[in-house]
Formats: sequence, C-alpha cells, structure tokens
Amino acid sequence: MSVSHVPTSDAANVRLVANRVLVTLLCAGLLAAWLLPFATMSPNRLASGQTVGLSAALSAWQMSALLVLCAVLAIAALRRPLPRGLAHGVVLLASLGLLLITLYSLGDYAQRTLAEKSPSARVSQGAAFWVMVFCCALAAIDAFQRAASGWLLRLGYMLIAGGSVAMLFASGHFDDLSIIREYANIRDNFSDQFITHLVLVGSALGPALLIGIPLGLLAHRHVRLQGTLFSVLNFFQTIPSIALFALLVAPLSALGNAFPLLGEWGVKGIGAAPAIIALVMYALLPVVRNTYAGLKGVPPATVEAARGMGMTARQVLWRVEIPLALPVMLSGLRIVTVQAIGLTVVAALIGAGGLGAFIFQGLGQYAIDLVLLGAIPTIVLAVIADFTLQMLVVLSKPAGTR
Amino acid sequence: MIELQGLTKRYGDTRVVDDISLTVEQGEFCVLIGPSGCGKSTTLKMINRLIAHSEGKILVSGDDITTLPPERLRRRIGYAIQSIGLFPHWRVADNIATVPRLLKWPSSRIAARVDELLALFQLDADGLHDKYPHQLSGGQAQRVGVARALAADPDVLLMDEPFGAVDPLTRDTLQAELARVHRQTGKTIVFVTHDMDEALRLASRVALLNAGQLVQYDRPAELLVAPANDFVRDFIGRADLGLKLLSRRRVEEYCRPAQRTRNNAIASAPITWQVDADDRPMALLGGRLGESDIARTVVNPEWIATPEMSMKEALSRMVWFRVTALPVLDNEGRLLGEVTMSGVMGHRS
Repeated sequence: MSVSHVPTSDAANVRLVANRVLVTLLCAGLLAAWLLPFATMSPNRLASGQTVGLSAALSAWQMSALLVLCAVLAIAALRRPLPRGLAHGVVLLASLGLLLITLYSLGDYAQRTLAEKSPSARVSQGAAFWVMVFCCALAAIDAFQRAASGWLLRLGYMLIAGGSVAMLFASGHFDDLSIIREYANIRDNFSDQFITHLVLVGSALGPALLIGIPLGLLAHRHVRLQGTLFSVLNFFQTIPSIALFALLVAPLSALGNAFPLLGEWGVKGIGAAPAIIALVMYALLPVVRNTYAGLKGVPPATVEAARGMGMTARQVLWRVEIPLALPVMLSGLRIVTVQAIGLTVVAALIGAGGLGAFIFQGLGQYAIDLVLLGAIPTIVLAVIADFTLQMLVVLSKPAGTR
Repeated sequence: MIELQGLTKRYGDTRVVDDISLTVEQGEFCVLIGPSGCGKSTTLKMINRLIAHSEGKILVSGDDITTLPPERLRRRIGYAIQSIGLFPHWRVADNIATVPRLLKWPSSRIAARVDELLALFQLDADGLHDKYPHQLSGGQAQRVGVARALAADPDVLLMDEPFGAVDPLTRDTLQAELARVHRQTGKTIVFVTHDMDEALRLASRVALLNAGQLVQYDRPAELLVAPANDFVRDFIGRADLGLKLLSRRRVEEYCRPAQRTRNNAIASAPITWQVDADDRPMALLGGRLGESDIARTVVNPEWIATPEMSMKEALSRMVWFRVTALPVLDNEGRLLGEVTMSGVMGHRS
C-alpha cells in the first residue's frame, strides 16, 4: 500500500512539462519584456533619457513574430506532442530566431525614432533587451546539453548565429544605436586597443607555455621538486591581480632606470612589461599543473613498454607521453587563455592598454556605452577562445580513447 | 642464446638478485618462476637493461649487453608485458609496427611484416588491423602484444607475466598458441610467471628462484622427479606432485598393446577390446571397477585417449568414467593400444 503525498497539480505539472529550464527562461524573458524597459531615448550622449517598453518599441509584425516564437518554445518545453529529439532542434532554431528578432527590432526602433529627432539624440538598449538576449543564449546552450550534440553541430550553430549577427551589424542596421555611434567616434582607437589586448594575451601565453610545460615535465620526472614548485605557483595565484600589477611597478621602474638599455626595450614600471609578467605568473600554475597531471595520467606500463621496445627517452616523450597527455594539457591552456583575456582588462589600470582602457575610461565619465564597448568584446573573445580550445581538447584525444 | 654470469642486483644493502648464473640455449623456452619478490621480474628486466645490474655479466648472442647502447639492444630483443602495455592512441597495425619503424624499415616491408604477424596469431580475420586497443578483447590485445614483440624478428623474446590479466579459458588458448609460435619460429624465450601449471606447460627449462637466488634450473620433468630441496617440493605443490608429473607425460609413453577380439565372448586376458572390421573399438570386456570380469562396457566417445593427450587427462577420464583402462585411438579412430590404471603406476623415470 503506497500513498502519494504529491499534490495533484504538481503531479500533472511533472507529466506535462519536459523541459523546466526552458519554461523558467521563457517566463523570465516574458516577465522582463513586460516589466523592464526595452530601450532608452535620451536627448544627448550624457543626459539620462526616457524609457520605452517593448510594446511601444516594436512594430506589429515584430511583435507577432516574437509571440509566435515564444509559443513555439512553450510547446517545445512540453512533454507532448513533440518527440524529445525534434524538440531540441526546434528550441535551437526558435531561440536563434528570437535572438535575431530582438536585435533587429532594437535597430529598427532606433532608425524609426531618430529619423525625426535632433542628430544628438540617442537610443540605447534597455534591461529587457539584455534579459531577452541572455535567455535566448541560455536556451540554446541548454538545448545542446540536453541533445548531447557533437562539436560539429555546435560549431555550425555558432557560425550561423555569429554570422547572422555580424551581417546585421555590417548592413548598418544598428548604426543609429548609441553604442555604435560611440564606437564610430573611437573606431581607430578601438581597433588599436583590441589588437593591444590580443597582443598582451598572446605575449603572456607564449612565455607561460615555454616555461610552464618544461616545469610540468620536471615536476613529473623529479618527485622531490613538486612540493616547492607547486607551493610557489600557488602563492602567485593567491595574490589579487590588482595588487600584483601594482607590486611589479616599483621593481620594474627601478630596473628600467638602473639599466637604460632595458628601459629602451620597454622594461618600465608601467605599461606592457608589468602586465605581461603578472599575466605569465598567473598562467603558470594551470599550465604546470595540467602538464604534470597529463603526464601522470599516462599508464606506467605503456611507458615501460615503449622503453622496452627500444624508444629513446625523447621518442617516449614525443610519441607516447605527450600525445596521451595532450587533452589534459590543452584544457590547462583553455583555462589560462580565458583567464588571461579577463585579467588583461585589469592591466589597463597600469597603462598597458587593451579593452580594459574603455571600461575604466567609461566608468570615469559615467558613459555606459563606452564601458560596454570594452566589456562586450572581452566577453566575446573569452567565449570564442573557450569554445575553440574545447574543440581542440576533443580533437586531441587519441582516436583510440575518444 | 642468453648467458647470465654471477648476476647481482643490489638496492642499498638488499640483494634482490643474488649471484645468478644460467644459460638459456638457442631456441630454449626458459621460464623464470618463484614466489612474489623473488627477483624473477628484476632478472628479466636486467636482460634488456630496463634495470641496470650491479654485478656480473649478461651476454645476449655472445655480446655483453653493456657494450651496446640500451636502445639498440632493446630493438634486438622482443618485449611483451600485460595488455595495458599497448599504445592506446595507435591502431593494432601501428602497435605491431613499433620496432620496425624505430629500425626505419621501408614501409612496404613493415606492412608485409604486420600482415604476416596478424596471420600467425590468427588476428587477420575480423578487420582487426585498423582497430584501437580498447576495441579488442583481452585475448586479442594479448596476442597483439606478443605479435608486437616479435615484429622485428628478434632472436630473443622476453615476456613478463604476459597472460596474468586474462581469464583462465583465454589463458589456456594463449598458452597453446604461444607454444605453437615457439615451435614454428624457434625463438629463444625467457618468460616470467608465478603460475606453476603455466611454467610446466610451456617451459623447456624452468629456473626456480627464491629470495634472489637460483634454487634449481632444470627441465620440467627433472624438477618434478628430482626436486633439489624442500622449497622446490613445496613450491611445486607437494600434494599433487604426482599429478603435475603426469601432466607433463603423454599417453603414447604409457601406451601398450591391447588384447583384441571380434566377438563378445569372454577372452583370456582381464581386459579385452571388442573391435569391428576396421579395428575400431566397440566395447570393453572386463576392466570395470567394482563389477565382475565379465562386464561389457560400450565404448563411449568421451572415454578414449589419443597419443598426444596428457596422462593427467587420461587418468582423470578413467576416474570419472569408473574404468581401469582407456583405448588409445589414432586419427581414424582405430585402436592403437591401451592405457591402464596399473600402467600409470608402473611407469616411472
């Protein structure tokens, strides 16, 4: 004899809804669209403006398309009538459609409104816009997880989504948006800082790998070294990034002053030199730890067999140990790359440049668009780096063990 | 040919291998056996310099192994360990081709050699060539391991408990296959195991080690009938020493002429075989335990013996079917002779 204490309405709910995450996201998106402003209209760059709701901003066809897509998502979240596999596909397509409609509507609203206003008037995106964009992205990510799809499908989807958004930008559809106008003002500076950002990340990763991989190898070969090495690297990791940047200023400027030749090469208290050194110090622990863990994961019998067959120490390393350790080593590189892209933002504080420069400049001027011009590309860079390296990790897994 | 002369390995003050001298002749199958920690694996690994010896000399085909660079030496010596030693990121063919590639053979010669070895180990059937180690069964992986060790056609093969991780049935098949490959190729093999039955089955010579010292180095039969001391007797298993001995003997050694008759009349001899026109045994007259001499037992295909069968198995069949004699049949099923319970007792060498 068993008695169910589950209330009947809940039981019905469990039977009805297959994808609760999607339902939650849908509710959050709709609630935000209803309660929060979709866009903001202001007379000039710095003045605060009046907010505009979704219903006022969207034209009739945009609104109906939005509602239809929401209804499709709601049906896909139910247990019936769509079979699971099909439902995941529907969610992927509908959330991409919803994302594009949201973006398009914002640009369209800016174009329609500003045609009759003064040239200094500005339209910027509101809170509801952001919530809707994030809900779309999360719905797609969740659908990929549920469908357990392969990386090829994910790559294709990323390319299509990224491509469509890029085409909207390239067509000039968003040119009337405040953030794009801000971008137009600083266009040359933006590409300089963007490249500086990439160069900083690259020049930190290079040395980190060149130093970190041999150190990981050393830790693997000489057990006694491990304790000291890892505690030193751990210590670096515990220093807050702003403090580490600041701590490097004094010794480096002293060094640059004492040896003018070094100063000419760019060793100064502020600028790229302390930034790169700090980034390398942060990057070392994950690189060393993952190299060590990867090598340790190679079965000892495999290495013994390789030696017993007559491979030289170098052949054992390159033909057996490195190929088998590579996935773990690459996931270390992934952690380090994403971490370095983020930390480089802070490096702008000591004059290293990079996208962080816009963020701090914007914070100082209370110009939110400028902050976003620094923040959004940083996020996009980090996501792309993470995705690319994740794919490399999968590809690097030995065919036999994939 | 492998010669160990006064071979010793010291770790600090402990002598894990203590003054071992023995010679493995060309084509010999030498099994190193002993309890855990007796130094058998260490001895094996000193032959291909995976472990450096402290004192003494090792000669492989007449050359002192310390005069060669270790990599050159190892490429001349096949080496097989438990199946996890396969390279998981390489396909079966690449695994087998390891040493030929290190020796920079031309690719056509490597491909031909791989096919030859796959055929030798009966691995050519199911498209195993392109499979990865994790797709193989335990027995298949083990065969690939042995094939890989033989790839560059070394004179000498070292095997470190290669069949330790497979189930008894597969181990039985693998042992039979290794014995066949040994007969076909005539390699000199040094094989480490802790399983006495495996040693007795495969070895042409057994080296029994204890606490780093060589206790006895002899042919398996000698080890059984003339154990050097109590340790040897205990290690072989005092209780079933006789059965172990019989497992090394074959039925043909015990086979003696059989008394035949064409009808079922009671014959003069206590055990008589009734045969048909083609000399195939039909029934045993007499020789039934616990019954009178005139019992007639129809020959059952289960209780026959063949010349190649081990005497242990023949004895086992006699006990199981409660008969005191088995007919020994040739390939066509004709009566060659008989083995009897009293015959088992009588023979001793």
